[in-house]
Amino acid sequence: MTFADWIAEPVNWAFLAIALPTLFCGFRVVTARNVVHAALFLVATMGGVAALFLLLSAEFVAWALVLIYVGAVIILLLFGIMITRAPTGIDWTLSGEQQIIPGVLALALFALITWASLEAFGTSTLTVVGEGSSTELLGRMLVTRFVIPFEVVGFVLLGALIGGITIARRDLTPLEEEQRGAV
Amino acid sequence: MSSRTVPGSGLWKGMWVLLYTMVRTIFKPKKYLATVNYPKVKETPVARARGVIALDQEACTVCMLCARNCPDWCIYIEGHKEEIPPDKPGGRIKVRNKLDRFDIDYALCMYCGICVEVCPFDALFWSPEYEYSEAQMGDMMHDMDKLQDWLATVPDQPELEK
Amino acid sequence: MELLTDLMSNFWIALVLKLLVVALIIPLIGMVIGFAEMKLSAKMQARVGPYFAGGRWGWAQLIADGVKFFQKEDLIPRDADRPVFKVAPIVVMAGTVALFVVIPWGPGVIFRDLDIGIFYALAISSLTTVGVLMAGWASGNKYSLIGGLRAAGQLIAYELPLVFSAVAVVIMAGTMSMQGIVEAQVSAGYPFVLLQLVGFVVFMIAALAELSRIPFDLPIAESELVMGYLTEYSGFRFLFFFLAEFANMFSMSAIAVTLFLGGWHLPGIPADVLEFAGPLILIGKSFLLVFAMIWFRWTFPRVRQDQLQSLAWKWLIPISLANVILTGVFKVVL
Repeated sequence: MTFADWIAEPVNWAFLAIALPTLFCGFRVVTARNVVHAALFLVATMGGVAALFLLLSAEFVAWALVLIYVGAVIILLLFGIMITRAPTGIDWTLSGEQQIIPGVLALALFALITWASLEAFGTSTLTVVGEGSSTELLGRMLVTRFVIPFEVVGFVLLGALIGGITIARRDLTPLEEEQRGAV
Repeated sequence: MSSRTVPGSGLWKGMWVLLYTMVRTIFKPKKYLATVNYPKVKETPVARARGVIALDQEACTVCMLCARNCPDWCIYIEGHKEEIPPDKPGGRIKVRNKLDRFDIDYALCMYCGICVEVCPFDALFWSPEYEYSEAQMGDMMHDMDKLQDWLATVPDQPELEK
Repeated sequence: MELLTDLMSNFWIALVLKLLVVALIIPLIGMVIGFAEMKLSAKMQARVGPYFAGGRWGWAQLIADGVKFFQKEDLIPRDADRPVFKVAPIVVMAGTVALFVVIPWGPGVIFRDLDIGIFYALAISSLTTVGVLMAGWASGNKYSLIGGLRAAGQLIAYELPLVFSAVAVVIMAGTMSMQGIVEAQVSAGYPFVLLQLVGFVVFMIAALAELSRIPFDLPIAESELVMGYLTEYSGFRFLFFFLAEFANMFSMSAIAVTLFLGGWHLPGIPADVLEFAGPLILIGKSFLLVFAMIWFRWTFPRVRQDQLQSLAWKWLIPISLANVILTGVFKVVL
């Protein structure tokens, strides 16, 4: 398939229209001179990735990305940045001195993922199996074929939760307990 | 304090009061409205309402106590000595303070009423009149003639409360 | 009617028409609710409320306010982060508009009946939070920043009970499509609120917090934070936040109605009448909930920050989780 054939498909225009701004936003996440701007570009990047998932008619994954990443993770991130230090304007302490090694590493990772996915799938197209909406299929798959990974992930998250509470928790000293009792 | 109430019942009570007030105000506004439709209906100010300060020029002795006690320095007073010829020849010339200027800048005034309190000759009075807003800030400066005009709106002193 | 069907069959014409309807509906609903808030709160306090604009009952008050906002100077503070400051109201408005996509107005009357309608609604409503945080930070004002942070903390806490109480309904209905949920209630013969009273109460409390309405208005908190994240906004940008707030009140109520109160359905009304009466029934039910929100506003004092957080984490989340588990168990057993 030549590039001319590829670009003739309207779906691919949509892909380009979403992917290029997403790439730009992703690039700005690491180059922005203001840490809050970087986080906001991350929001835009997540939105773009969600739009790409929509283009693949993976509705559930797309909106899960929005709900969890835009709605919770990045809000927590922004919350954390703003509650500690959040100057408006350009922050020159974000020097970006270490550009070469991370850049090389990122390119290597990109090459690895590209190679792996080309190796695994090549140019073959995957078709959706089964009847019903993709969300319904996904749900059925999760509790039938992938039930063990699903449960394992659940346990890992539970473990992480308990671990988080254990780390954050601080038992009161007897004196403090007495004070709390008094209140 | 003394009567025991169910915890949380205050929430419901408060909501009920609001609903009750709303229904009552919608259906019988004449009876239950706490406010009036101001430009159409005028409120009757209470006795001792602090609307505007009126000046009795005759009583003023240009003692400057009000201007000096004003926290905002919004009172401007100027005056001069006036000589009155003696009653009979060889008598002493009488001297009287004549008021030239008495302005109150209501754009600055904070209606504390200290000037009315300190006036030793009862030249300043509170009037309940409140409709003297202006389009220009400079027009809020009332000169002595205007202040004299307010005197007509000053009500009789109400009875002191027991 | 046939003309309309013909027009709607063309994708692009239908898209433009739907966009026009949304663009009209949001300011309209915003104005109606804003006016109701002014007038009803006046009556609750034995006042008259807006009276002169428009001649009778002051019906044109909100139009006059809108014109006033257009005339105002567009101020951007010197220390503000200009691009973020400008984009924030648009982000908030985008989240609001996107929520209207999945509100089922009547049988077959919906902008887009997504398979995962309720999931979409809950996901997209978090966009508003990002906008609020952006507004708070970009203003370059400490009050605004505190307001934005409070909004974020509040919305993280109350997103969970909101989602969980919706999950219980999804389990009962067996679908995430908004139309599907309404149809499940129609075929069940009762609105889900009868079995999900706990879920409904939790949902409404969480919705109040998501909307930053009193008693959860800590992000705005006039008496402590001037106007929170809105402090530096003026003119048209402020109007955006203002309209978004009222339109969000409506869309949250409409989602609550769809999930718990039977949506556009009212028992005893024949199907062919519902075709036309559906939107009216939905709007009527939603306005009842909006009225309740206005009513709460003047009844309850603002909660404290620690009370807000402990209410969410210690009460609402456990209650709604237990509700989900109970609903699931009953669904399987029955």
